[in-house]
Amino acid sequence: MKLSSISRCFQGVVPSLVASSDATGMPNIVYVSQVYLVDDTHVALSCQFFNKTRRNLDENPNVSVEVYDPVTFQAYRMRLRFLRSEKSGPLFDTMAMRIQAIASHTGMEGVFRLIAADIFEVLRVEKVEGFLTDACAHDQQEISVTGLRTELRGLQLVSERINRAEDLETLLAAALDALDVYFGFQHTIVLLNDESAQKLVTIACRGYGGGVGAEVAFGDGLIGTVARERKILRITGLNESLRYGRAVRRAVISDGGKSRPEIPLPGLPDAQSALVIPLLLEERLVGVLAAESREPMTFGEWDEAYLTIIGNQIALGIDRVLETEETVPAERPAQIPIAPPLQIAARPRRTLTYYKDDDAVFLDNEYLIRNVPGRILWKLLDEWKSQGRTSFTNRELRLDRSLGLPEIKDNLESRLILLRHRLREKCPEVSINSTGRGRFALEINADLDLVER
Amino acid sequence: MSQETSEELLRQFADGGVSVLVATVDADGFPTCCRGIAIAFKNDFESVTIYVPAATAQETIANVATTRRVALACSHPLSHQSMQVKGLTRGVRLAPAADEAFVRQRLDQFARVLDDIGLPRRVTRSIAHWPAFAIDISIEQVFDQTPGPKAGVAVA
Repeated sequence: MKLSSISRCFQGVVPSLVASSDATGMPNIVYVSQVYLVDDTHVALSCQFFNKTRRNLDENPNVSVEVYDPVTFQAYRMRLRFLRSEKSGPLFDTMAMRIQAIASHTGMEGVFRLIAADIFEVLRVEKVEGFLTDACAHDQQEISVTGLRTELRGLQLVSERINRAEDLETLLAAALDALDVYFGFQHTIVLLNDESAQKLVTIACRGYGGGVGAEVAFGDGLIGTVARERKILRITGLNESLRYGRAVRRAVISDGGKSRPEIPLPGLPDAQSALVIPLLLEERLVGVLAAESREPMTFGEWDEAYLTIIGNQIALGIDRVLETEETVPAERPAQIPIAPPLQIAARPRRTLTYYKDDDAVFLDNEYLIRNVPGRILWKLLDEWKSQGRTSFTNRELRLDRSLGLPEIKDNLESRLILLRHRLREKCPEVSINSTGRGRFALEINADLDLVER
Repeated sequence: MSQETSEELLRQFADGGVSVLVATVDADGFPTCCRGIAIAFKNDFESVTIYVPAATAQETIANVATTRRVALACSHPLSHQSMQVKGLTRGVRLAPAADEAFVRQRLDQFARVLDDIGLPRRVTRSIAHWPAFAIDISIEQVFDQTPGPKAGVAVA
């Protein structure tokens, strides 16, 4: 039997059993969250807390492992012989990243970590006959020709949409829409790298009903780990992994240890699978693309391959749009007339307050936005109030040193998207509307009191 | 923090709804593993009977007949709270028909827990459980095996 024919058993959905023995012949048995398939004659086990298993391997290299198909629950038994421990290299890095991501998410960095990737030769693998009395007949998932054609067509359409997009918001909306329609990725997020702040900012999402503006620090949780390591992360059976992480956390706390609070996952609270991809241009991290699902087995190697191709296209597209936006001078004022202000019988009265010390803008005592997007908003409102201006250019924002934009890769476009989203959600009476490449108009449909503190 | 005794630890796994893992070793020192279905502690937690399905436990039964040494691990799937017992086989027998209801009940309890975490009952209920062998072992050592820095610590 080839190991590749039971590849589902190595996705980490159902924990596997590992039996070892010491030199005196006393057996030991533990669960491991995942057995890693290295090639058709080798597997790897993660060495985390296996104190006893680790000692046993030094005395007796023979090990038995039982793995389970997560769809049918059929068991397979393997006889293994320990070869070596790897503490660096591509395999170690891949295994370590999955563990780091879960550890980071559950507040257990450093405690819950990969010590070594233990490599084993597979001496024998066999189906455990009679394990199931009434095996669920689930055929191996095959990729149908129809599916393949749809995905290739999808890939072509995503590329076209990305290449046609003139601004970042259109590009990301089109890409996420195509991922949903052609690939079935219903819950997706794109976060952009804010290099100066060492964090990622959610700039687009689909299937969540909001979330733009959510921030993730480098190294935090699944997304932050992918950003730091710049490597793809595919987790199936996410709930099981998080339960394991939480068990470690409880053990540490009950032992008098300290831990920081768990990081909430941006996105689905009950996600079972996650596929997180770094958006890279050579060595530069542009952002992160994450897809989630409530099903434990949603993302396979196929999805990983396709999403990586699309991720590369999105990264190139983002770079092209931002580059163009930064270097091409603003177009002449748009010929398209700006829609007249909404006719509101009684204009609402809103108070916007800018707190200098906190660098934050509040709307009627409720937080609205802070940092660079907050400063941009305040500049626009100030000039509207003092000079009656409603038309602005990206270029003048770039030249205004008081806004604190970095000189290179300023992400102005993404900051304006963020500001537009926040205003749409919290203060629809104030809006920022594009009037052509590099130009926009401020539209106000309320009586505003501007207060600076 | 007061130290938990082995009896207190074992008691937490006595009521079912836990996974049961069994490891043995052959005469050449090669270990093997199999899933058990049920355990029943006896003699004030000084011994335990492990029920393993006859269909999948041939190697296990052959091993305990020759080397007698057994490792038994139990774990609560939801919390990952786990323990491990090391012991010596005192006897192996085909479980009597009178024990079938108990074994079936334990499998149902386990299936209910796994159903809560996404593994459907129709799948877990199809796990072979009867006929079963009953392995009686005397408990020699007990270890706390909940994942974490203290996993593997012996409990007095």
